[in-house]
Amino acid sequence: MCRACRNAIAADVVATATGEVWMRKRCDDHGAQEVRLSTSAAWYEETRAMTQHRVAPRTGKRPVALGCPFDCGPCEAHGQKVRLPVVTITSACNLDCPICYVHNKNHDPYHMSPDDFGRILGHLRDDHGGELDIVNITGGEPTLHPQLCEFIAAAKREGIHRVTVCSNGVRLVKDEALVAQLAALDARVALSFDSFEADADVALQGVHLVATKLRCLDLLEQHGVSTTLIPVMTKGVNDHEVGRLIAYGLAKSNVRHLEIHTITFTGQGGRTFDRSGRISMIEVLEGIEATTDGLLRVEDFVPSPCAHPLCYQIAYLLVDPDGGAPVPFTRFMSRDDLYRALSDRLYMEPTPALEAVMHEAIDRLWAEDDPASARTLRLLKGMLTAMFPSDRAITRHEAMAAGERAVKAVYVHSHMDEDTFDTERAMDCCDSNCYADGTTIPVCNSNVLYRDKEARFNDAPAVWNERRGGHRLRVLS
Amino acid sequence: MTARRLEGKRCLITGGTRGLGLAMAKAFTRHGARVAITYRRDRADADAAVAALTALGGEPLVYQGSVADAAHATATVAAVNAAWGGIDVLVNNAGVTQVLPMALIEEADWDLVMDTNAKGAFLFARAVLRGMIRARAGHILNIGTAGSERVLEAPIHYAAAKAALRGLTDALAREVGRYNIQVNLLAPGLLDVGMGQMLPKHRIGEYVEQASLGRLGKAEELAEIAAFLVSDENRFMAAAKIVADGGL
Repeated sequence: MCRACRNAIAADVVATATGEVWMRKRCDDHGAQEVRLSTSAAWYEETRAMTQHRVAPRTGKRPVALGCPFDCGPCEAHGQKVRLPVVTITSACNLDCPICYVHNKNHDPYHMSPDDFGRILGHLRDDHGGELDIVNITGGEPTLHPQLCEFIAAAKREGIHRVTVCSNGVRLVKDEALVAQLAALDARVALSFDSFEADADVALQGVHLVATKLRCLDLLEQHGVSTTLIPVMTKGVNDHEVGRLIAYGLAKSNVRHLEIHTITFTGQGGRTFDRSGRISMIEVLEGIEATTDGLLRVEDFVPSPCAHPLCYQIAYLLVDPDGGAPVPFTRFMSRDDLYRALSDRLYMEPTPALEAVMHEAIDRLWAEDDPASARTLRLLKGMLTAMFPSDRAITRHEAMAAGERAVKAVYVHSHMDEDTFDTERAMDCCDSNCYADGTTIPVCNSNVLYRDKEARFNDAPAVWNERRGGHRLRVLS
Repeated sequence: MTARRLEGKRCLITGGTRGLGLAMAKAFTRHGARVAITYRRDRADADAAVAALTALGGEPLVYQGSVADAAHATATVAAVNAAWGGIDVLVNNAGVTQVLPMALIEEADWDLVMDTNAKGAFLFARAVLRGMIRARAGHILNIGTAGSERVLEAPIHYAAAKAALRGLTDALAREVGRYNIQVNLLAPGLLDVGMGQMLPKHRIGEYVEQASLGRLGKAEELAEIAAFLVSDENRFMAAAKIVADGGL
């Protein structure tokens, strides 16, 4: 994709003599362009070669006309069903972050109606056979929607296991009653939290927010609201803090996992943000290894089998309730086994595959009979005892919540922009924006191409150009 | 319910404040029995059970303690005898399980599960039998599990304890049958209470797929079977193992 006109153009992804991976392309109108995709060709190739667990979407397919990414809905060629449905319920936001990767509108803001939200839940139910792991409610800032709690309750009534609400935390700090409501509804807050440092904070958020974020996290912890921390890694700005952010999240009792994003240069802020901050997935993983004192290594991460392997990297850790260091799953099972355990879901669920892998791991640790294994076995037994207490009956949902308290995860998620856009990844995307008419648009496609055309999110919506590309063959020169 | 099968019967149910135990206490009360129940720890559950049984017209007796504690068994039976002049029916229902593979089961886990499920049944049976022998009548119903009767995946200590109950049932039935005391075992499959509430959905799905009736059992259904088994309508079953699992 051309970074200037965002028309489709052919690109080559090449390994360089220095062991890096670059995408090179040329737009007839805007010339040659290149971007570094990875600092490690070996890691890139090994990761890209992993086979994902594809389950095609069941509904809403549209014919391929212009080619990826211009036929979204999804199109008939899309390879993966929606594993992470994203529902944008408002265009309003109380911040204007320099790295904001979407378009928002505060003048005459859009608020999704309960009817439309209900229709989206209906489409998701149909597409997932009645069972859905997660729905992510976002904006704008979704806590500004007056019917947010009504939406969460509706999603819970549908039996969705995890209802997450993205938030910058500003409203939550001012409205503890809302935090209490979120706790009562068993909602999960996905809190953006980029930095502990004032300079980085201002560079990324536009204002000083560290104190607000910490206050918000304390409030969420006090009310027992399950929380996901979402730091956006930006090279030279906050990437040196990744270990500290992970340590903080692992220590907070209510933080279930961290989802670390690589910065993406889309949206009202990101498009004009200094692109020297671009950071690749492997650089983040290496940064994690360098700043977590041996807790996490690059090889502790595996791609999600439900997404394109270059989009998600996941590490799971067993938590020690006595305060000892968490134990990454890959220290007691192989990466292949962890990958197999995750094969059915984007987020860990008690599936047959997980049960089988865990049982084999326990047997192997037991057979090994060494001190490190003994500690891991103790933690695993604690997890099982919490999930299935012998002295009382708990519900299935409570059992799963107990399991989640015993395990934390670190996700690294790499979004694409027009520089890095790769249709191979887009066609296997499992994160999609969901609309009331049943349309779903992969999040990166939306961020790069679709959102700026929607009147509800833009005072002056952009218009489509000729969207060159499609099925046309490249002309050899 | 078509008849009051247990009119005037004096019944003691261990672990009677929740799950299948509570369902049996309710069913027995509806069938006209006087019901005494035991519980180990949870006072709130016990209070709720008493309220439920009272609402059904019962006047339940409640005793707190571990079934694996001989003194608790002796004292409970003595108290019920003192209150009612005897015990006609004992249901050894109190049980405990842990979802653990062999590798994670330690000696203390084994002891807990065996003591509660097997030793507890022995202690309560021994405590009530002297009165039953004097009366030359009585029913002892042990609650087992389909996990020890059929090929179901179950924790090994739990399966072993429930299998021990099966042996206890056989041997005791032979030993006390001469006094017209009937000892039987009811082995439920997966129910909509207890472990059936907690297991992951795919586990429930596997069970439902295998069961001829295509569903989990309801605690109330098992309670009605139990009411028949300890009633005077059941005059010839002894050392019987009744598997109620929906047809695995």
